[in-house]
Amino acid sequence: MNPLLTLMQINDSVFPIGGFTHSYGLETYITKGLVQDSKTAKEYAQTLLEHSFYYNDAAFFHKTWQLCETKATKKKVAELDALITAFKAPYEIRDASKKLGIRFLKLTEKLQPVKRCSAYLKAINTQELHGHYAMAFAMFAHAQGISYSDALSAFYYNSLNGIMTNCAKLVPISQMDAQQILFKLQPLINKLVIAQPALEEDLIGNCCIAQDIRCMQHEKLYTRIYIS
Amino acid sequence: MDSKIVLNVAKEDGRSRLKESYHNAPYKLTHYGAANLTDHLEMIIMSASPGIMDTDHLHIDIHVKEEAQLKLFTQSFNKLHPMKTGAGQHTDVQVASGGILHYIPHPVTPFKDSIFKATNHIHLAEDAVLMWGDIISVGRIYMKEAFEFDRLHTQTKIFRSGKLAFIDNQLLQPKKQPIQKMLFFEGYTHQATFIFSALFAQELKNELDEILTVEYNDISYGFTQASSDVVILRALGSDGELLYDFLQMLGQLCWDFTMHKLSESKEVEVIENEGAEPLPVVAEAVVAESVLTESVVAKKKSTASPRKKRVNKSKTEEGLKYA
Repeated sequence: MNPLLTLMQINDSVFPIGGFTHSYGLETYITKGLVQDSKTAKEYAQTLLEHSFYYNDAAFFHKTWQLCETKATKKKVAELDALITAFKAPYEIRDASKKLGIRFLKLTEKLQPVKRCSAYLKAINTQELHGHYAMAFAMFAHAQGISYSDALSAFYYNSLNGIMTNCAKLVPISQMDAQQILFKLQPLINKLVIAQPALEEDLIGNCCIAQDIRCMQHEKLYTRIYIS
Repeated sequence: MDSKIVLNVAKEDGRSRLKESYHNAPYKLTHYGAANLTDHLEMIIMSASPGIMDTDHLHIDIHVKEEAQLKLFTQSFNKLHPMKTGAGQHTDVQVASGGILHYIPHPVTPFKDSIFKATNHIHLAEDAVLMWGDIISVGRIYMKEAFEFDRLHTQTKIFRSGKLAFIDNQLLQPKKQPIQKMLFFEGYTHQATFIFSALFAQELKNELDEILTVEYNDISYGFTQASSDVVILRALGSDGELLYDFLQMLGQLCWDFTMHKLSESKEVEVIENEGAEPLPVVAEAVVAESVLTESVVAKKKSTASPRKKRVNKSKTEEGLKYA
């Protein structure tokens, strides 16, 4: 298979794993009027990528990729899965990671079975492991011969695209502004992808407190369009 | 300066008592009020120093032994003075089976240019209970030192029965983060994290769902089920004392809830023991009395049995959940 086309397919916002049903706390920001226009939407997206996603899901992607480069033993996969579960404090965020992970693994298994991914899915189904999307995505992308920087760039882009799509729907901001922000933040994604391997082990899972609080508050929002 | 505080608590004659303990300068560990006032042990960590200086390192070792209960207090805000190299604090906690630890220290106040790393490793036995707090201010606000510290890194790891249950990792670097803006302090000047960990954490979460239903003007907070045995509450505010009182109130609520759960499980034990007792062999003269007793026991058993069944059921559910 063509690695580029595979990457475009699995990273597509309409890849049916339910990514569009989550806002990861953004809905709270919009409901409380903290994200209210294109300027604040960009500020939110930029801070999230640089100070939250880099330390969390992107770092979990990196660790999984490292595992796949060596021998991803069952024990090591289990340890990483447990570590990610321990870092994701807000229930909805933890659950979103699980749900997307399961759907991604189920779907990609039908496209082209990967032994490592099938074993991960089996362990999640038997409740031996929790299951996380970042791990599932890295495992499958690695097996498809997609390069590390392409896969990680796409992973960042997918998250940013989700934020901008949600902003266009909820704030709302214009589609034009959303696309401009997506384009303008490319250099930031490049910078973060290059810096990813240098992230200190001690800082993995670093939490932005207000982001965590907004994710928790989402559980109690009076009107909710998104699951998280 | 390297300092150490060691605290051991064990249950003796129905009371939690201070066992082997140690502290060196500038710290002092002493009873918080009268030693025998409560069945649980209350201790306070005091310090003769104006705060933590550059290169200071404190190691705290807390061991709550089987069935023992400890409430640990601090004397005042933990002031971090200007530094060049940095200071650190490491806390090791072991809570044995049936043990309870309640520790909500005063807020940490990082002065201009302070560098500090705090690590907490908490090991809980299967049925141990933890109430833990952590409050951080952004500096001496009225000295115009807000967000002037260099680096503040706090890392708390909770293990239950040797398995990782939860990690809180927070690095604050005002010079490298948009720390006053979205995702970080969002206009507030203090942040707080409260952790409750117990096998019945889900039940406490249900209580909090009923109690914490309003939004406050001075505090923005959220709480969640961080794992099957951990409930976490995070808050932002602009007053350290207020957040400290808020966390103390939550701590006490969790403490009372834990005591209620303990008394409930003791009741079940008593009922189970009564049920297991063989009927006494009685002489004819006291047959009537025996019949009466039997009927009382039977009545007691019958009124108690639904509850017993209910508790057993929830135990089974818990067993499934944590299997």
